[in-house]
Amino acid sequence: MQQDGNALFSGGGFMPSQTTQITEYGGSSSTKSRSSQGVFPVTVKQISECLHSGDGKSITLGGTEVSNVRLLGLVMNKIEKITDVSFTLDDGTGRIGIQRWVHEQSDTNEMVLVRSGTYVKVNGHLKDFQGKLTVMAFSVRPLTDFDDLTLHYIECIHVHISITGKPVNPSTAISSQIPVSSSQFLSAPNMASKNYVAPSNYMTSNKANSTDLSIQVANIFDDPVNLSREHGLHLEEVSNQLRVPLQRIRDVVEHLISEGHIYSTIDDNHYKSAANG
Amino acid sequence: MPSPCRIAVQSAMEHRRIESRKMDTSTPAVFISGREMLQMYSGRRVRTVIHVVRIDGMSIIGKSSDGNELIVRGCPSFPPSHFVEVIGIADAADLSVRSEISTDFGVNFDMLSYNKLCQLANGEFKHLFI
Repeated sequence: MQQDGNALFSGGGFMPSQTTQITEYGGSSSTKSRSSQGVFPVTVKQISECLHSGDGKSITLGGTEVSNVRLLGLVMNKIEKITDVSFTLDDGTGRIGIQRWVHEQSDTNEMVLVRSGTYVKVNGHLKDFQGKLTVMAFSVRPLTDFDDLTLHYIECIHVHISITGKPVNPSTAISSQIPVSSSQFLSAPNMASKNYVAPSNYMTSNKANSTDLSIQVANIFDDPVNLSREHGLHLEEVSNQLRVPLQRIRDVVEHLISEGHIYSTIDDNHYKSAANG
Repeated sequence: MPSPCRIAVQSAMEHRRIESRKMDTSTPAVFISGREMLQMYSGRRVRTVIHVVRIDGMSIIGKSSDGNELIVRGCPSFPPSHFVEVIGIADAADLSVRSEISTDFGVNFDMLSYNKLCQLANGEFKHLFI
């Protein structure tokens, strides 16, 4: 009985308790714990440096609190017990102890596949135990596609770049600036139309003119003034605004209807954007 | 009554268990893409992936991810055209790796990405690895 209690308290119970804490406290604590919520792909070398620079309480990696990690490496010295399986993981940068609690048959089945000398991918919780960091694994899976090995280390590098704050990728930097620069009232519908038109843009990339027109027409429908009109816009108004023949507008409108961007209101000449309700 | 031998084995296992709690970064295996990097790390523990070309006695002659020939000594035989990862000691004298651990990566492996990874792991991001 006592053993059961212990297991619930200190062992396998950490995942649910972590989740409840976040929902219970929300607000300020959620911003703090958000950084540590994800699973960080890391090398053992990186973890060993956490150990040296950490204050003992929280484990930080390049200033970011880390609690869950993903490691990939060779299994060594596997030791099976009734309640847990432990082994040393050698990822080529260093070695770390891994412990996996075995509660259910599925856990046992998973750990049977883990053999010394084979590659595994481990997802787990980084735990400071008497000054030594170990990983309490949630999952230990044998590697089946060895390109995952290359991918894992590239992910380690990528995550390292993003948490140390070096510029990552010009395209992501630009996309993250859009909501900041258009902080006016118009920002929401503008964003909606941009997000929306993008896919149709790819579809009709060989017909540049009609795509441009469809963006222009969509923008008119997404204009907040027009969004607020109960019956939407008459096609002639669109035609006059863009100085484009009515028939071409009708073609574009047909396309926008099929995409679910606009819908007809009182008759076949009045249409309204679906962007704002 | 357990035999003394059994007690010795048990205590050795317990010792290993305690050992497994420590983190050891003293003998990393450095990613190498081929000859050039092998010469840089002669006498040290390295890891590389080769494409098996032919078996010559106890040695495997393979193609490294940078496209050059590399010899691997002292590892089990692998079928030709398989990709094999070797972890072992680099020897610049005859451009070989003395294998400690070898793993068959199968017939499909992206050597181009692996080669890039070797470059990153020996360049700007070396500190994440060794």
